[in-house]
Amino acid sequence: MDDLLEQAVHGLTLGSLYAMVAAGLALMFGVVRLINFAHGEFYMLGGYAFWYAYRELGLPYPVAGLAATGVLSAFGWAYERTVIRTILPRTWHVQLIATLATSITLTNGAILVFGTQPKEVPTRLSSTILEIGGLRIAAQRLVVLIAALLIFAGLEWFVTRSKLGRAMRAMSQNREACAVVGVDVQQIALVTFAISAALAAGAAVLVSPLFNIFPDVGALLTLKAFAAVITGGFGYVKGAIAASFLIGLAESLAAGYVSYAYKDAIAFIVMVLVLLVRPQGLFGRRIGI
Amino acid sequence: MALLEIRGLTKRFLGVTAVDAVDLTVDVGELVSLIGPNGSGKTTLFNCVTGFAAPDAGRVAFRGRDVTGAPAHRIARLGIGRTFQLVRVFPRLNALDNLLTFLQQHQEENVAARLVRTARMRRLEAAAVERAHHLLGTVGLRDRASAPAGSLSYGQRKLLAFAAALMPDPDLLLLDEPAAAVNPTMINQMKEQIRALHRAGKTVLLVEHNMDVVMDISERVVVLDHGQKIAEGPPGAIRRDPRVIEAYFGA
Amino acid sequence: MRSARRAFGALALVAVPWIVAAVVPGQERYVLHVLIFTALYAALALSYDLVVGHVGSLSLAHPAFFGIGAYTAALLGTEARWPFAVALPAAIIAAGLAALVIGVPMFRLTEHSFAMGTLGFAVVMQIVATNWVDFTRGPLCVTGIPKPAVGALRVATLPAFYWTALGALALVVLLYRGLTTFRLGRAFHAVRDDETLAAAAAIDPLKYRMLAFAIGGALAGGIGTLYVSYVGVLCPGELAVSLTVNLLVMVFLGGVGSLRGVLIGAAAFTALPEILRMAPTWRMVIYGLLLLVIVIRWPDGVGTMFSKGASTASSEPPPRDGLRRRSRRSNAV
Repeated sequence: MDDLLEQAVHGLTLGSLYAMVAAGLALMFGVVRLINFAHGEFYMLGGYAFWYAYRELGLPYPVAGLAATGVLSAFGWAYERTVIRTILPRTWHVQLIATLATSITLTNGAILVFGTQPKEVPTRLSSTILEIGGLRIAAQRLVVLIAALLIFAGLEWFVTRSKLGRAMRAMSQNREACAVVGVDVQQIALVTFAISAALAAGAAVLVSPLFNIFPDVGALLTLKAFAAVITGGFGYVKGAIAASFLIGLAESLAAGYVSYAYKDAIAFIVMVLVLLVRPQGLFGRRIGI
Repeated sequence: MALLEIRGLTKRFLGVTAVDAVDLTVDVGELVSLIGPNGSGKTTLFNCVTGFAAPDAGRVAFRGRDVTGAPAHRIARLGIGRTFQLVRVFPRLNALDNLLTFLQQHQEENVAARLVRTARMRRLEAAAVERAHHLLGTVGLRDRASAPAGSLSYGQRKLLAFAAALMPDPDLLLLDEPAAAVNPTMINQMKEQIRALHRAGKTVLLVEHNMDVVMDISERVVVLDHGQKIAEGPPGAIRRDPRVIEAYFGA
Repeated sequence: MRSARRAFGALALVAVPWIVAAVVPGQERYVLHVLIFTALYAALALSYDLVVGHVGSLSLAHPAFFGIGAYTAALLGTEARWPFAVALPAAIIAAGLAALVIGVPMFRLTEHSFAMGTLGFAVVMQIVATNWVDFTRGPLCVTGIPKPAVGALRVATLPAFYWTALGALALVVLLYRGLTTFRLGRAFHAVRDDETLAAAAAIDPLKYRMLAFAIGGALAGGIGTLYVSYVGVLCPGELAVSLTVNLLVMVFLGGVGSLRGVLIGAAAFTALPEILRMAPTWRMVIYGLLLLVIVIRWPDGVGTMFSKGASTASSEPPPRDGLRRRSRRSNAV
């Protein structure tokens, strides 16, 4: 029983990671109608930025975390202004190939710069084991879960209460109408992208003390995040988050009880199963984020 | 004899009933117009009939045969042709190839015929090319036969789409706003083309906003409002029908 | 005149081994090796272009079919000791069947989901190949794959392999041309350019997408067979996503949907890195950047810039009037 609970906690950690990454992907698709195949690389770069700030520069954990998130936001901003803005008016083939190409460039670039050896970023929290009701859980895992929930709450507040957030919601429903009433569509796209990148980087900051950083980590993550986005109903952020936790739990339990080697296939299998039964995703075709 | 018979057709989108239990019959050789204010469900009805949308309830019969919910390509194969509200052509193909594409599925019999270019296939192909040229001449695009469709003006594309829909010689032609977004000269041309079709015995059902066109060429007019049929009759009667006036101008 | 030039060209291609031996003695093995790889990749790129360029399905699953064909042939050749003449068709059928089976759920998805779904399939195939060690030997690789042999005829020397690869390429070219011209070609292109309009023209989009997908997959499986027969060894890394990226580079650099374009793209992107002896990581960085620049600047591929009749409306998407392909269930994404 303890074993099952422990796997469940692991599943929640995984789910938090996937949820933060998937939320960014869903946000981008919902607001800007773009699938970013290089999204996982934001996580990867965030992880390396965090590693550098924390291990190499010796900054304290929170500072290093904020620094990494900030750097990635800036990177997302720059990427939006250069590449995204150019491919947004094009057909989706162009968008897909362009972002896939970006992914390949960044991944291999990371190999050249950082090498293929994974970087470890242990913190005090990841080595502190808490005993809760007979379970032994690394403190970091709790931090991940709590932080993720706080971030999602923050996101929800932002999207429903703030002016910018409401503009984002409007844009996700009807882009043309927004342009007509004077909403700065370009600016919204920029902000959405920066938030997406920050979410991915934030995930890396929280999770890399538990899972190492290596150049290829982004590819599989993009795939699983996408599986979550599809499963939850395209462009529906809350659906993506829910689906992410589902996938995280399924993967963790499968890894523990079925087969560790094939755990990465779980996300894909969940996605295909859901699509065969409910092609519009678990939560149907919701308009907006 | 009823060529197209629609009974109780209903289609709902996200809580809105776009088409609400509509009955509509079109007899062979008729020229019927479907009118109504924006959002009254005209194009949705078209889409349900031609297989681009699946009705939630009701029945569509063509030549007495039930085609409700059949996929679009199958309905096209049965002999219903259509044009689209936002004109569609194959921009990369030239005008001639656009037309040929619309005929080929109606000429195929079996796999072998598709793989081997026999003399018979060559003859069929030649006949198709001749028909295409003829139709291009009818709509006045004969000299643009080898021009890529993407280079044609909007009005020319409408004519091309019209000719393409005619290629397989459909028994029923559904035209979605043939007079929209084109200049008056083109409108007159369109009217003439449709009248010519009617004289040749073809059955036409058209959706149209341009009242002059509707009143001018229709035998019968059907009026939709908020998805429901509210009136039906000859153009003169419809023009004076208080319910129709209410629908268009009422609060 | 044209047929004379063609005959001369064909003759020159066949005579390459001797030409190479004469022009660069001592380098023969290397040059022939590069040419064999180029021919195989060109054939693979053409099989991919059928799906991506002609019917417009942006599938990322090609490495999976290549791998399924390769593993089928490799295992039949080593474990079951089936002769090549039987293993090759078996591999082609296996890959084609896999394409049909995976195509059914995949083609219910639209656009982005289809791309991601096929990518997921490719990734899962690689995971299976890596981890199902009992069957595929996993990272230990299948070794000792026999060279192609039909009866007494064994393809053992490099020149013989070159001719085999060239022959395979020629067959694929013929098939490609047959499939992309006249009625079938028009049907494919109609589905690619405007699925809704194609349906109005009585063309069944699903049927033609499945057809292109299955044929493309089957061909990939066949080329996979030739590839492993040449290399002699098969590792799970051959199914990596980078193969898709390579294929996309070849197809988009050369010209999507253009025979000459794809051939040029394949030649450029197989021969060049081999000749320049690029390290794989650097190659991928450069490919990535190149692909990014190319697809933004020339969405239809560089090759079509030069092809006659390139219409300004070539990349024009169909009107956004909400008419999409109906899936069998309700509104799919």
